[in-house]
Amino acid sequence: MMTLNRTFIFYAVALVGFILLPQLIAVKYYLHLSVLALIWVIAAQGQNLIQGYTGYVSIVQAGFMGIGAYSTALMGIHSDMPVWLTITLAPFVTAFFALLTGYPSLRVKGHYFAIVTLAFNMVIFIVLMNFHELTQGEAGITGIPKPGAKDGLFNWRDRETYYYFVLIIAVLMTALAALIVRSRIGQTLIAIRQNEDLVGAIGIAAWKYKLFAFVISAMFGGLAGAIYAHYQSFINPEIFGVAQSLDAILAVIIGGSGTIAGPIIGAFFVVFLPEYLRFADSFRLILYGLVLVLATIFMPRGIVGVTTDLMAKWGRGKT
Amino acid sequence: MRLTAITAAFALTATAAFAADKTLDIGVSDALTGGGAVYGLPQANAVNLAAKEINASGGIKVGDDTYMLKVIAYDDKANPTEASNAVRKLIDRDGVKYILGFCCSGATGAVASFIENEDAVMLVGNAAERSITTREIPNLTRTRPPADYTGAAAGTFVAEKGHKRVAVLGALDVGFYASYVDAFEKELNKAGGEIVSREAFGLKDRDMSPQLTKIRGQDPDAILVVGYVEPAAFIYRQAVELGIDVPRYGFTSGSEEQFLRVATSEQMEGVWDLRPTELTLLSASENGKAYHANYSAEFGIAPSPSSPYAYDQTYALKDAIEAAGTVEDTQAVAVALRELSVPDEVVMQYLPVDEKMFDVNGQAYTSNGAFQWQSGNWVFIQDLPSDAAAYSAFLSTID
Amino acid sequence: MVEVIQQIINGVAIGGVYVLIALGLTTVFGILGIAHFAHGSVSMFGGYLTFFFVTGWGFSLLLAILVSLLVGMVLGVLIELLAYRPVRDANHINAFIVALGLTMMVEGLNLEFFGHEQVVIPTNLSRVFNIGGVTIPELRLYVIIAAALLVLAMTLFVEKTKTGQAIRAVAENRDAAILMGVNVNTIPLVVFAISTALGVCAGVMVGSLFAIAPGIGEGLVVKGFAVLILGGLGSIPGAVVGGLVLGITEALAAGFISSAYKDVIAFVVMISVLLFRPQGLMGKA
Repeated sequence: MMTLNRTFIFYAVALVGFILLPQLIAVKYYLHLSVLALIWVIAAQGQNLIQGYTGYVSIVQAGFMGIGAYSTALMGIHSDMPVWLTITLAPFVTAFFALLTGYPSLRVKGHYFAIVTLAFNMVIFIVLMNFHELTQGEAGITGIPKPGAKDGLFNWRDRETYYYFVLIIAVLMTALAALIVRSRIGQTLIAIRQNEDLVGAIGIAAWKYKLFAFVISAMFGGLAGAIYAHYQSFINPEIFGVAQSLDAILAVIIGGSGTIAGPIIGAFFVVFLPEYLRFADSFRLILYGLVLVLATIFMPRGIVGVTTDLMAKWGRGKT
Repeated sequence: MRLTAITAAFALTATAAFAADKTLDIGVSDALTGGGAVYGLPQANAVNLAAKEINASGGIKVGDDTYMLKVIAYDDKANPTEASNAVRKLIDRDGVKYILGFCCSGATGAVASFIENEDAVMLVGNAAERSITTREIPNLTRTRPPADYTGAAAGTFVAEKGHKRVAVLGALDVGFYASYVDAFEKELNKAGGEIVSREAFGLKDRDMSPQLTKIRGQDPDAILVVGYVEPAAFIYRQAVELGIDVPRYGFTSGSEEQFLRVATSEQMEGVWDLRPTELTLLSASENGKAYHANYSAEFGIAPSPSSPYAYDQTYALKDAIEAAGTVEDTQAVAVALRELSVPDEVVMQYLPVDEKMFDVNGQAYTSNGAFQWQSGNWVFIQDLPSDAAAYSAFLSTID
Repeated sequence: MVEVIQQIINGVAIGGVYVLIALGLTTVFGILGIAHFAHGSVSMFGGYLTFFFVTGWGFSLLLAILVSLLVGMVLGVLIELLAYRPVRDANHINAFIVALGLTMMVEGLNLEFFGHEQVVIPTNLSRVFNIGGVTIPELRLYVIIAAALLVLAMTLFVEKTKTGQAIRAVAENRDAAILMGVNVNTIPLVVFAISTALGVCAGVMVGSLFAIAPGIGEGLVVKGFAVLILGGLGSIPGAVVGGLVLGITEALAAGFISSAYKDVIAFVVMISVLLFRPQGLMGKA
């Protein structure tokens, strides 16, 4: 009971912090980064479902963000559907593609999964680059509209408005992730991570659950991509490549895989760290790689794991 | 903290401002590291060089005030998100109103998509994607002509050589290479020629023999190679290895050294490069030679052929600010840029439209040249038949 | 017909490189269960080293390759000891994340030491053979022959030597191998040394026939895993058949279907194999 209370207080404080954040930020640039970080929270929550809870590395989260981003943008261009509708539909388009790749790779042998997802991310990238008639290739799609009418209730061009919009979605998606994890399905996913053979032995078709986790995680990614597209008003294939998928994996590991708070912390880490460590790409790769290796070996439960351990120790010390 | 370090590094290279003078911060967003840095870093250097020269010769004069330029450069890694971040930071945090650089199309497109709503002026350099100047964004200009402007000139040139059936092998997933080929094809068709096949390759492909084998089977009169130097060099080599002995034309802008790393000089002999004239010592003006010398002295390395696009931006900006008589009113400066005649100090050879450096789309045009590989060197042979006014009119019709 | 034969020849050279990469991956995977994702970047590191020894220190090509092989084997051993061994008993997802981290590190080091521009290992082999309209450059021919010899050597090693038999024993049944007195602490080191050596050879081939540049190693390792999916895990014939099939498929796809989408076509082939023959073309059901 004690821990539940503590967790509750933690989330309440965090939420108040997020609500107050725009008032605390003097330079709007950091508000812009915070919006990006919240978008990454959504994508990382999805990544966490398959990677952290189910125990399967998917290397296509950025690719799914790309599918979500392009589907909302293209639906908007080729039909009169309002923005809120295309954003809502984008995750379902993404889910379709996730089914196509997830079924063959998860049904048979799990150890091909990571590679197939990686190859699929490359395929997404190639198609986005080459299918000019649809995607306009490297030049990208410009002028993606903001949600809401020009003289509507909210001024969507204002970054603060968009911040609160993304915050609401991020909170809802985090809650959804928590619900899934606590459900029977979520418990089965965790069981798969811990011992897949055992799950199979008691007559549960593990692959169905794995596929479910993968498709849901893709939908989180697709939603994040769609929100990103309308925020930036511009998308091109560059940011939906394998490198960004690795960032999603890093976010989960750093924050704490298999925890709900982990992806939140990890997402902010991944977005803000490069701001504070401005250096060449080669150093960034070396550092991120080193962090991944060391974190996996020495703190496999990420920042959240380390913090809870410390707090547990501290709590014991006091009583 | 991190910013001061970068700014300080650049501030050191610029002359310290006199105490009485005011300072005008100008921003650079460009690829300073990563794959795009071949284009981006020299551009950032070129802006610094121009700023230093302008400061040394008395700064920018607006009414009674004299402004010394200070350059704040951020690395956008040629990545759209990073470029949006860099420009946001320049505008929101550093209070910069004039942003230069922009070597690479993806990153530039991302910034161009929102710059219209900002109180700022954006000057684009080497990015060749056409759509950047088709939307008539009032506060954006570009010094490099779009790739299809050059492609049309190249098509006319190749057609004049009498080739009817041309096979294309290009990085066609990259928008501006594809548009070069489209414009090339249009001119070739006008002369009764045709493109018999369009083969593509990816950025990391180095084995082009499957594509070349297919082209060999089609028995074309000439081949056209469109893409970055590194893969293109392999195409020229493997074409020889496969026994293809028709004339080879290209749009690659690579240096001798880059090609010789991959192919022998004999394998390269006779290859044409059809591209904007840019900076080569053989074709350089007096300004070009001085730029080459000053740049080399300042940075200890020769300037890249495309770096003057950014150098010229800086002088265009100076003239525009002086003509507008304000540094505060970016709208007035943007209007002045569109009205500008070609500044005396520029390095590239601009072809003015209506006697102005930038046309109504904010686009400038340089001459295009035909270069040929002869005994180990790129030799300037002739200007390509380029029609800036006609292209400018065409550009205005696209949205 | 000449065109088809030419395309097959075109595909065999790159296919040979795929085979070598896949051989390294399949030994590591078969014996240790690790998807050694950093293999491609480490292989390219070997190619870079050879380039450096030839152009920087003036070594002959052969000497440069030998020294690179030695350095590569040491690196392989270190990777096993320092990175993979600590997570040997953890959930296997950990080993894979370590592999991803290693990939980023090695790619970063390659960038830092050798820069962004592509490097080509100079060989001075520029003759071209022409047999009835089918052309094959001298260098390509040597690469194909070298790849074939390496496959042969690897087969002999695994089949005929004592260490090779121990490796096979571990691959077939780890616990039984321990009971039989196989040292399971040294076997992984040997496996990584051999696998990295094969990788370095592939890196040298790529570097001399084509070029080494950032990202090429990552692309190759994906192809290597695709070969495992095609050919079936853990077998030398699987890697050979899978590698050649992939290389030739790509060449034929680029030549006769679409050069822009040749990698997509390769991916579709891979997915089809997963759907209809999940054990791979050469694997046992």
